[in-house]
Amino acid sequence: MSHKQFSRRDVLRFAGAAAVAAPFATGCGAGAPASDAGGAFTVYWNAGHGYQAYQQVIDEFQKAHGVTVNFQKYQWPDLRTRLLADFASGTVPDVVETQGAWVQEFAVSGDALSLQDYVAKDGAAMEFPDDWLPATVARNTYQDRLYGAQMHYTCSLLLYNKEMVGDTPPSTWDELLTAARELTTGDVYGIALNQDSSYAWPWLLQNGVRFYDPSSRRTLVDRDAAVEALQFQADLAHKHKVSPVPVPSTDYAGPQKLLSAKRAAMIITGPWDLKPITESSPDLDLGIAPALRQKEQATISAGASLMVPTKAARPDLSWDFIKRVTALDVERAATREAGMLMPRKSWAGLPEVQADERTKAFADGLPYAVDYLQDLGPTGKSGEIADNLFKQLYQSVVVQNTPVTEALAVFDAAAEQALAG
Amino acid sequence: MGRIARVLVYVTLLAASAVTVLPLLYMVSLSLQTEAESLSASPVLVPRTPVWGNFVELFERAPFADFIVNSAVVAGAITLSHLVFDPLVGYVFAKFRFPFRDTLFVAVIATMAIPFFVKMIPLYVMMSNIGWLNTYQGLITPFLMDAFGIFLMRQFIQPIPDELIHAARVDGASEFGIYWRIVLPQVRPALAVLAVFTFVFQWNEFLWPLVATTTEDMRTIPVGLTLFSQEYFTIWNLTAAGAVLLFLPTALIFLASQKFFVRGITLTGMK
Amino acid sequence: MPKRRHSGLDARYSRTAYLMLLPAIVFFVVFTYLPIGNLLTTSVHSGPQANEFAGLGNYSRAVSDPAVRHAFVITVIFAVATTVGALVLGLGLALLLDRPLRGRVAFRALLLVPYLTSVAIVGLLWRNILDPELGILNRLLDAVGLPEQQWLVTSPLATIIGVMLWQHAGYAMVLFLADLQGIPDVYHEAATIDGAGPVRRFRHVTLPLLAPTTLFVSIISVITGLQAFGQAYIITDGGPAGATDLYVFHVFNVAFEARDFGYSSALSFLLVVVILAATAVQLRYGRRGEVQY
Repeated sequence: MSHKQFSRRDVLRFAGAAAVAAPFATGCGAGAPASDAGGAFTVYWNAGHGYQAYQQVIDEFQKAHGVTVNFQKYQWPDLRTRLLADFASGTVPDVVETQGAWVQEFAVSGDALSLQDYVAKDGAAMEFPDDWLPATVARNTYQDRLYGAQMHYTCSLLLYNKEMVGDTPPSTWDELLTAARELTTGDVYGIALNQDSSYAWPWLLQNGVRFYDPSSRRTLVDRDAAVEALQFQADLAHKHKVSPVPVPSTDYAGPQKLLSAKRAAMIITGPWDLKPITESSPDLDLGIAPALRQKEQATISAGASLMVPTKAARPDLSWDFIKRVTALDVERAATREAGMLMPRKSWAGLPEVQADERTKAFADGLPYAVDYLQDLGPTGKSGEIADNLFKQLYQSVVVQNTPVTEALAVFDAAAEQALAG
Repeated sequence: MGRIARVLVYVTLLAASAVTVLPLLYMVSLSLQTEAESLSASPVLVPRTPVWGNFVELFERAPFADFIVNSAVVAGAITLSHLVFDPLVGYVFAKFRFPFRDTLFVAVIATMAIPFFVKMIPLYVMMSNIGWLNTYQGLITPFLMDAFGIFLMRQFIQPIPDELIHAARVDGASEFGIYWRIVLPQVRPALAVLAVFTFVFQWNEFLWPLVATTTEDMRTIPVGLTLFSQEYFTIWNLTAAGAVLLFLPTALIFLASQKFFVRGITLTGMK
Repeated sequence: MPKRRHSGLDARYSRTAYLMLLPAIVFFVVFTYLPIGNLLTTSVHSGPQANEFAGLGNYSRAVSDPAVRHAFVITVIFAVATTVGALVLGLGLALLLDRPLRGRVAFRALLLVPYLTSVAIVGLLWRNILDPELGILNRLLDAVGLPEQQWLVTSPLATIIGVMLWQHAGYAMVLFLADLQGIPDVYHEAATIDGAGPVRRFRHVTLPLLAPTTLFVSIISVITGLQAFGQAYIITDGGPAGATDLYVFHVFNVAFEARDFGYSSALSFLLVVVILAATAVQLRYGRRGEVQY
């Protein structure tokens, strides 16, 4: 009935279920299975990234290979839920857009196909890895083999209202605090912190903190610097009261809305907030400043990679799809269309990037942006540690104003167990 | 009732109704706002000019007509199936004596304790193995009947006098005939309520259609609505417009069945 | 009733009963008990593919896991509070409506309407409304001169309990109302003649007669409360710092965030056991004082 190969264990495990259910199949008749081994080529995508530029690639791809692309768009958490269900059943999509440290996580678990042989063959033609920012190669590599191709590559910077902040935005923590204090009046906040814990990382990185040190197997090192960076953020909200206390939520848009409404003078965020700002408040005089500098100038990178599941039926086709989507002219089209930032070095030099003040500002941040999950990814535990445990730590400190050392003790106990298990 | 008491009752009921209805009216307001209004940080109560085009945009940006058809087919088929099976099973448990009856009844009722997502992965693997992913039967079969409906119907059928059933047997009616002609007509209001609640629940179901569909044109409305979000923010006006379309049918069906509600819900059955 | 039961007839009725039950038996075996069997098998495994045998390791881990204990406590509070709230609000509204009033049907419909909306929509809507800086609720409070609240920051659990009640109180109300209207007037009249005031009439006549509905509402809301998921999944993401980390949401994250299906299966099974136990206890104590009329 299905064309997929099942492991013997799978068969044993689910034969019972299928055997009992099978009579229904004949009873209900029209049980035509979605033919994923026929002419359909399934791609999972983020719902916010369905650009025309990619639709065009899909059209060409369909023509070239005589397949129908089943382009499935999801929100990130939904995409992950689906994908894990797919891994459990063995019926997998052909290409998946991923975020965070998913590529490394699935490389560790054996669910991602190594693309090493493909880049060995085609790398030169696509100028890989020479034309790609080194971080975009590292974050898709596990044990010296490549498992994913970076598609988007962005970073977070300081966005500010020029009317309020003026033409010289702060460049250090001290300057930021001073400015924020001056700007906080009545209904207006100097800065608005985000409830999402990944937004804590520019501060931590600026203070020289690494999420994970593989040699000592310790998290959040150096500890004193981590404590200081977390405390600084908590103080912005609770001690100096220059930021609203962030609201725990499934939404990231709070600070952006405050900036748009001119109720916050500064926020730290990525280019994804540009569109809503422009649309909701076209009159806002928006400035984009380089990342702050404490011990060093640093910020987080973000972005999306493409990967191929190990059990994908036609990996050659999957690779061809990846090559087409990551081609420079496609990147260029996506930038023109949506202002998206890209991982290629030559992209940064394109005239449309250099000519657009906002795109250029972010492009200039990319070289010093750091993937804060870079060391944690290869442990395969970044889902648990970064998304669950660190979220707790961050909210406990910044939302609830719990003493940092206390919150860290909770984090350490749980993180140790996660890393051991 | 004194005059003052009367006024107090009205004021309380009006306040309570305002609390339940105003948020939904705000949803309607959002559905008629421009993207700028709905994204704005100072919330807009009433849109300057209602943007009916949001509803059109739903159909332009996604196969929304497919979503509606899928939702209707899936929720409709499941509701029908509940109407067929829940009263039948409830009847057997209420009126028949047979070995292991109580054990079986407990085994059925116990399934209420199981949250759906607990079964999700095993069901998904099973559906994948038999090739039913992305099909209507795959979306429908896990919900063909449920313990809650069976329990309710048993409650309603129990008070029907045994004499009625025995008399029919003596007259030579078939067992199914008894069920169809004697039992079912007695519980019609309860069936209406069962139908409304089953439909509402299935119409709003999210997790299973999310994992069990693999093409966009097979999605139901709740899953389809997730398309109206960007990577990091919700396109509020469109999501709200979709939510209004999601809500309308359930509201209409509820209004249409209003008259059954009190009679059909009394748990102690016939009075 | 004619008593001419003999074994042949009994056997025939049994056959008929089983024949009519057959679809249900097949259904529950395939779509509930096989998946549960599968869940139990998975629960003694670990690893991302849930294929390394772990014995009872997941269960012993569950018992000593502080995050699980925390989620469980939160969820019990949530379930108890939403149940008590649904009983009080549902009965209160039903009592208000159980009298000749103009617009009674309309009120009943308006109060039940939130029950017809999906948890996802309710969640998105309230997340939007409750935002302290940007939501409409604080704007309204401000406009009428009341202090603004930090809702999800300062009292997150109470807030999602409120959202749950907003959606579910109407359902309890309808159940109580149906029952109230079924109470024959003679009971109240008799009590009045005996000299009972409204409060005593309520305590000694109405309340005992409502016992079956009360039991039903509390069993259903405890089950719904213990299985609550959407309020955390859509509104709070479990935060701040796990304050709204409802059990099923926690287990969902163990499965789909941390990808530990073995552990999540063990946690799921434990929840099912707890729900069954809670229901059994309620049935046991609730049946006392139940009055049939």
